[in-house]
Amino acid sequence: MSTRVLTKFDLQVPKDIPEALDVLDNYKDTITPVAGGSDMMVAWKLGLESGNAMSVTALPGLDYLTYDDNEGLRIGALATIDQLLKSDIVKEKYPALWEAAEVFATHQIKNTATLVGNCLRASPAGDGSAAAYALGATLTFVSKEGERQEHIDNLFTGYAQTSRKPNELATEITIPAPKAGSKSAFWRVTRVNEDLAKLNVAAYLEMDGDTCTEARLVMGCVGPTLLRLPKCEALLKGSKVDEATLEAVANTVNDEITPIDDKRSTAEYRRSVAPVFLKRTILKALS
Amino acid sequence: MSHHTINLTINGMPQTVTVEGNETLLEVLREKVDQTDVKYGCGTGECGACTVLVEDNKPINSCLTLAATMDGRSITTVAGLAKGHDLHPVQQAFVEDFAVQCGYCTPGMVLKSVALLSENPEPSEEEIRHYLEGNICRCTGYTKIVTAVQNASKNMVQYAGGDAA
Repeated sequence: MSTRVLTKFDLQVPKDIPEALDVLDNYKDTITPVAGGSDMMVAWKLGLESGNAMSVTALPGLDYLTYDDNEGLRIGALATIDQLLKSDIVKEKYPALWEAAEVFATHQIKNTATLVGNCLRASPAGDGSAAAYALGATLTFVSKEGERQEHIDNLFTGYAQTSRKPNELATEITIPAPKAGSKSAFWRVTRVNEDLAKLNVAAYLEMDGDTCTEARLVMGCVGPTLLRLPKCEALLKGSKVDEATLEAVANTVNDEITPIDDKRSTAEYRRSVAPVFLKRTILKALS
Repeated sequence: MSHHTINLTINGMPQTVTVEGNETLLEVLREKVDQTDVKYGCGTGECGACTVLVEDNKPINSCLTLAATMDGRSITTVAGLAKGHDLHPVQQAFVEDFAVQCGYCTPGMVLKSVALLSENPEPSEEEIRHYLEGNICRCTGYTKIVTAVQNASKNMVQYAGGDAA
């Protein structure tokens, strides 16, 4: 184990999707598809991951970012965080995603990391994935058996675990077009800016005047996966978002999270700030 | 083990190298093509010492990049910035403003500053500090680095504007 030299593994660099699916079939569950690889490379170096690598960087035509009012935002598996950050559509229509892209790691990493990869690493501290979760994204998986869609609500199955099957290749993530009156925001707290979050929050709200008609709240670094906050969401839905509602939401969030002590924060700290940051993120979305 | 023969353009020079699947771009640059101006720092993408520019001035961490995935790409290291004996304006500003202490972070800092100024020719101090976040100077000489980037920006804007007066 070294941060200088990677342990020996096979690297496959398929040139098209059929070849990539052959590779996945041949290696079964001993190979991991990587795009930017910024997180997997560290995991391999630190001995947190093992096995072989399949780089998807040579697959043609996967670096797209497109939007239309019917299909919403389509983000190819090779579209980088930097592409999201430079997109006026993302900035205007998906504030939570844009704000997560803005604080996502460093510029070097923004230039290689992808939103699809960020979601599939299934880190409980993911920033892009927290925003995608709140915005109700869907991933597309391709295998020799065909194509299937997986809603992000069903993606995270445990710490660094997803519902992707070993023979499946993720090709795209889509985010529905924002409904009229919808708002979103992202917030995180770190020690210094380029750190991973001590705690992060993404909020998506649909509003009819002052009344919230739909809410998706996601909090990170407070459980084995990113967590939805269904009790808090239920308090918002159908209610006027005023001081009393926000207070009720803030008082409820600690029932829904299970933070631990780790090198970035203590459980006690996370429990103390969770209500405050949740409230602030909702207010930020509405502002 | 998988072997891969790849074509890279390094500082404008086309090169063909055979690399192992698990070799990083940083290892290949330093050990196979003698580009030792690219530095190994943390190896985990936090310090920025290994920064190189790909294609149109995009900074990446060479320590987190598998070399075999870079086939056909054009890479600029700090040694590729000067034109003959004429330093790049960012290098010149780092010299004039003494923005170097031990010098280990300098190649990454210079390249990252070049990338910043190509994206944003007149950054504010806050923008400079934000953009340089992925590059760590453990001598903590940030003030002079920021001054150097500001001066490089002034010189480059003046030059690009054709202001000969």
